[in-house]
Amino acid sequence: MSALEWWLALAAALFFIGAFGVLARRNVIVVIMSVELMLSGVNLALVATASFRSGTPGGGTLFALFIIALAAAEVAIGIAIVIANYRHRRSVQTDEYSELKG
Amino acid sequence: MIPGGDFHPILFAIVALWVIVCALGVVLSKKIMYSAVAMVFCFLGVAFAYALLHAELLAVMQIMVYVGAISIVVIFAIMLTDEKEGGLELFFNRATIAAGGLALAAAAVVIGAIVADDLEGVVEKTRNPAVKELSRLLFEGYVFPFELISLVLLAALVGAVVLTRKLEGRR
Repeated sequence: MSALEWWLALAAALFFIGAFGVLARRNVIVVIMSVELMLSGVNLALVATASFRSGTPGGGTLFALFIIALAAAEVAIGIAIVIANYRHRRSVQTDEYSELKG
Repeated sequence: MIPGGDFHPILFAIVALWVIVCALGVVLSKKIMYSAVAMVFCFLGVAFAYALLHAELLAVMQIMVYVGAISIVVIFAIMLTDEKEGGLELFFNRATIAAGGLALAAAAVVIGAIVADDLEGVVEKTRNPAVKELSRLLFEGYVFPFELISLVLLAALVGAVVLTRKLEGRR
């Protein structure tokens, strides 16, 4: 395996550990954290690829920066939804949210 | 000849082990707060990985945004929701085993594709100062998405406030 392949394998591992968390856990906050892990995996893949294929990580860094900014927005909205739901339902378990009637 | 130039196997192994152990900690730990702490360390590891890949600016941004801001928001959410049991409610039943199998299989497919494919590049290396290149990209080619991000963040800010506001009038 080349160096880039090692980096991409690490990124893939991070992504799928996050995917496992999204699929397996019921606590919404853990699900949000797992989504962040998945986004980090993608970022790592972008930066590694850019770094190895074009010499500088510039382009990959750019997209990673956009993803980080969007992830911040996503977490803010996600946590806001969780807290709004928690007020309503006293729970952060996903199976309690099965009927979101409002 | 490795087209990354200075690939340090030992540093990579340390970072990889660190990131993967911490990521598993996020997913598997019994208490949510432990998950959050593991997430902080995982993001620190990813920041270290960025630094190894010569994306130093991104490493700093990673620490500022993830380790600084997102972790704080998550920990606040954990404290506000005050869930006593957070644990492995679903562990080792059918759904979890299916999810684990699915994640493992997908990871095997992707890593297999990465290993099988020949990624040895054709591009020769010129190590420009990455930040200079980044600023050039950001403020020349991608100005519009850059400005759009600020709009998205503003919308998220207002949306978060609206969502968490108490809705006395409606009930």
